[in-house]
Amino acid sequence: MTEKLLEIKGLKQHFNIGRPNLVKAVDGISFDIYKGETLGLVGESGCGKSTTGRSIIRLYEATDGQVLFNGENVHGKKSTAELKKFNRKMQMIFQDPYASLNPRMTVADIIAEGIDIHGLAKTKKERMEKVYELLNTVGLNKEHANRYPHEFSGGQRQRIGIARALAVDPDFIIADEPISALDVSIQAQVVNLMKKLQKEKGLTYLFIAHDLSMVKYISDRIGVMYFGKLVELAPADELYNTPIHPYTQSLLSAIPLPDPETERTRVRTGYDPAVHQYKEGEELKMREIKPGHFVYCSEAEYNKYKLQYKS
Amino acid sequence: MQQISKDKFKVVGNSSAEAETITRPSLSFWKDVFMRFKKNKLAMFGLVLLIILIFMAFVGPFLTQYDYRQNDLMKANQPPSAEHYFGTDDLGRDMFARIWYGAKISLFIGIAAAIIDLVIGVIWGGISGYKGGRVDEVMMRIADVLYGIPYLLLVILLMVVLGQGLGTMILAMSITGWINMARITRGQVLSLKNQEYILASRTLGASVSRIMGKHLIPNAMGPILVTLTLTIPNAIFTEAFLSYLGLGLTPPLASWGTMANDGIAAMSYYPWRVFFPAMFICLTIFAFNVIGDGIRDALDPRLRK
Amino acid sequence: MEKLLEVKDLKVSFHTYGGEVQAVRGVSFDLYKGETLAIVGESGSGKSVTSQTLMKLIPMPPGEIKGGQILFKGQDIVQKTEKEMQAIRGKDISMIFQDPMTSLNPTMRIGTQIMEVILKHQEISKEKAKERAIELLKLVGIPMPEKRVNQYPHEFSGGMRQRAMIAIALAARPSLLIADEPTTALDVTIQAQILDLMKELQSKLDTSIIFITHDLGVVANVADRVAVMYAGEIVEMGTVDEIFYDPRHPYTWGLLASMPSLDNDGETELAAIPGTPPDLTNPPVGDAFAPRNPNALAIDYEQEPPVYQVSETHFVKSWLLHPDAPAVEPPASVKEKIRPLSTNFDKPVLVKGDL
Repeated sequence: MTEKLLEIKGLKQHFNIGRPNLVKAVDGISFDIYKGETLGLVGESGCGKSTTGRSIIRLYEATDGQVLFNGENVHGKKSTAELKKFNRKMQMIFQDPYASLNPRMTVADIIAEGIDIHGLAKTKKERMEKVYELLNTVGLNKEHANRYPHEFSGGQRQRIGIARALAVDPDFIIADEPISALDVSIQAQVVNLMKKLQKEKGLTYLFIAHDLSMVKYISDRIGVMYFGKLVELAPADELYNTPIHPYTQSLLSAIPLPDPETERTRVRTGYDPAVHQYKEGEELKMREIKPGHFVYCSEAEYNKYKLQYKS
Repeated sequence: MQQISKDKFKVVGNSSAEAETITRPSLSFWKDVFMRFKKNKLAMFGLVLLIILIFMAFVGPFLTQYDYRQNDLMKANQPPSAEHYFGTDDLGRDMFARIWYGAKISLFIGIAAAIIDLVIGVIWGGISGYKGGRVDEVMMRIADVLYGIPYLLLVILLMVVLGQGLGTMILAMSITGWINMARITRGQVLSLKNQEYILASRTLGASVSRIMGKHLIPNAMGPILVTLTLTIPNAIFTEAFLSYLGLGLTPPLASWGTMANDGIAAMSYYPWRVFFPAMFICLTIFAFNVIGDGIRDALDPRLRK
Repeated sequence: MEKLLEVKDLKVSFHTYGGEVQAVRGVSFDLYKGETLAIVGESGSGKSVTSQTLMKLIPMPPGEIKGGQILFKGQDIVQKTEKEMQAIRGKDISMIFQDPMTSLNPTMRIGTQIMEVILKHQEISKEKAKERAIELLKLVGIPMPEKRVNQYPHEFSGGMRQRAMIAIALAARPSLLIADEPTTALDVTIQAQILDLMKELQSKLDTSIIFITHDLGVVANVADRVAVMYAGEIVEMGTVDEIFYDPRHPYTWGLLASMPSLDNDGETELAAIPGTPPDLTNPPVGDAFAPRNPNALAIDYEQEPPVYQVSETHFVKSWLLHPDAPAVEPPASVKEKIRPLSTNFDKPVLVKGDL
């Protein structure tokens, strides 16, 4: 059994607490991420997937719950040294290739920032050697080191962002919609690169996205979020072949596939939260319907699904 | 249809190594901004004008045999001539020499006040904007209160307590001048601090000072620079104004403002005594203003290619 | 079928600080009444510039139409003055954009924005125009239209704003609707609703649609015919079945292969197209796609490929269809989907070229 790298327990991230415009972006989710796997996190805008990623890496202070990295809680009172330790273990790749690189810094300085902060290079020469190596790893050239972000295309910038994250040699990378802003053919380049790096360096990924076909391709397991809650979690193939939660079913039925015949005959199902007919006081939580396949439901629904999906 | 030889149709493939090279020469942000600035004729005119004025402030005194203090009551109130290019004042002093002496003073006051505003304003606004929340509210309220104090009252108070002089003058102008710079900086920091590259720095473990110094301030530099170039003429004008009210410098110090003040009384008889200082004040303010506008336009991303 | 639009060899350039960017380098296509033509391409392909030129929305300068014709209902749009274009926009040709938040005026009520279009092109009273506006809101599926007509854009959700945009675009019953990435910014479920709505409206109002997108799934869903653009040119054009089940251009193969299909097991690498699109200030000699094409021929680097016709409706701009060209296999994932189409000619026919 592979060991757990991250355990997220009851994570809550609320904004504007105590004010009328309270937003419960993440409202009590729990899941584990195993060493070496890619966990996909999908959902539509406002579901809280990006917020989840940012809370895990402590860009936000969690309102409640725990994020355990190798058993240690990421949140709570921590010294600067302890926090810096987490910075080296967990890194992030961002969505917007145009906003994720400082336009005033050269590529070399951008990539070397982690090296500079954590003192990973003793001399200037060593620093540049590392930068060149990283550029190489992501498929760029030495000559690119002295250039500025605006001289690069979206796909190249995204690769610079990946090099920056790799500079501190992390174990875990959160990819927050890393390909959403890229052209289709460039998306494939970046995804291939990420997979290659995972194999070479034994990385663990949390891949947050809304493009479901790409998520299925890159992920081992997938979690589906809806309005701050995790509604389904299952291995990638299992989720696509046997979606159980009505929201997941509706989501999958809405993806247009590059196949005209399928599209001509497709039937879309909408999702109406009222279909659950939850009664006052019913306990809703993630329950295991099939091995490894969890669904957020009530006791009554649990029994129903168990019967329906007898494996 | 022309025959094409068969070997043209051999598969040759692509050269993917070349695919990643960038052919255009590297252009840093400021080089790019300066190139756009150069195209703005008015702004370049202002820049040239300013350079000439600063140059003359140092070289001007050598172009005449007279010293700015040298008085000769026999030659009082003479109109511009070949000997005295700008005429003389009521004490027979050469206006030309005095103008360039005054240039040094006025420019010094303007630039010194602006730099003090810059340092205090950027630090204040930067911290306020970055920290946000309570800290931001408190810091901005302090600034607001200071801003609300009647300016002239403050200046008079300072004059009484510290006496009139160059230092007091500069202090008087900096005391509330930084607030504008602080607000501009704060606005910039607020809009930049949630940019993804700032978040990336935070996840890498960057300290607040690193984020401020390497990321936020360099990117906020544009509007700060524009404000700076517009603060200087403001300071020069304010000094002139205060001097006109009699709250400015005292002899032997002389700025364009004090000279204009001296000249006002006799304006109808000896107009050159007020004309020259006033003209140079206007030219300097004009130069800084068009330079500031030019920088602002050159920075405007919408006008970018 | 009646031809609504004929674009012949359109060339559009932009004069910029860095030089002349040839955004559109000779684009030709036809559009028939009542059909949906999808224009697919990535950034820099020229798809948006082409569509905006159809309505002459490109600022000139720095833009310039360097050549070609746009025959809309027989009249050449390229020759028309701005005043003449204003009479056409909204009434005959309409456009909907990607971001509904920035294309709707936030300080104007939705109803007023719809009525603006109606009142400009028709002589009717304000009350009647308002009635029409409510009807249109109902047509695009907005609930409680009588209430919604008086609301502001910020009171609408993203999907509803896009519907409102569609209502504004259709208010004067144009014969041609240009949709520039209308669903790219929307969630997948909302996107599906909007696509269904557009298809429904098309059959009701017999509007022709030019649908610009980079999402091949969306193309498969809405298009009758497809034009694939790369570096300012159309490299392949055909019916939607021809493009997906019998693609011939290496770039089309590359696009199709870059998308993981749902039965892809995640073990095989995605066949990504290496490199990046070319700089159109200095368009490459020959085939613009050659530097990224692992199957490029020697001649691809020297001469621009001619256009070959594979069927009545299928055109391909590639040297690979030349009789002397070697047989080249598309990537495995694309090959699996290929099926023989009965409408194909026995052999590709040369249509236009420098030969």
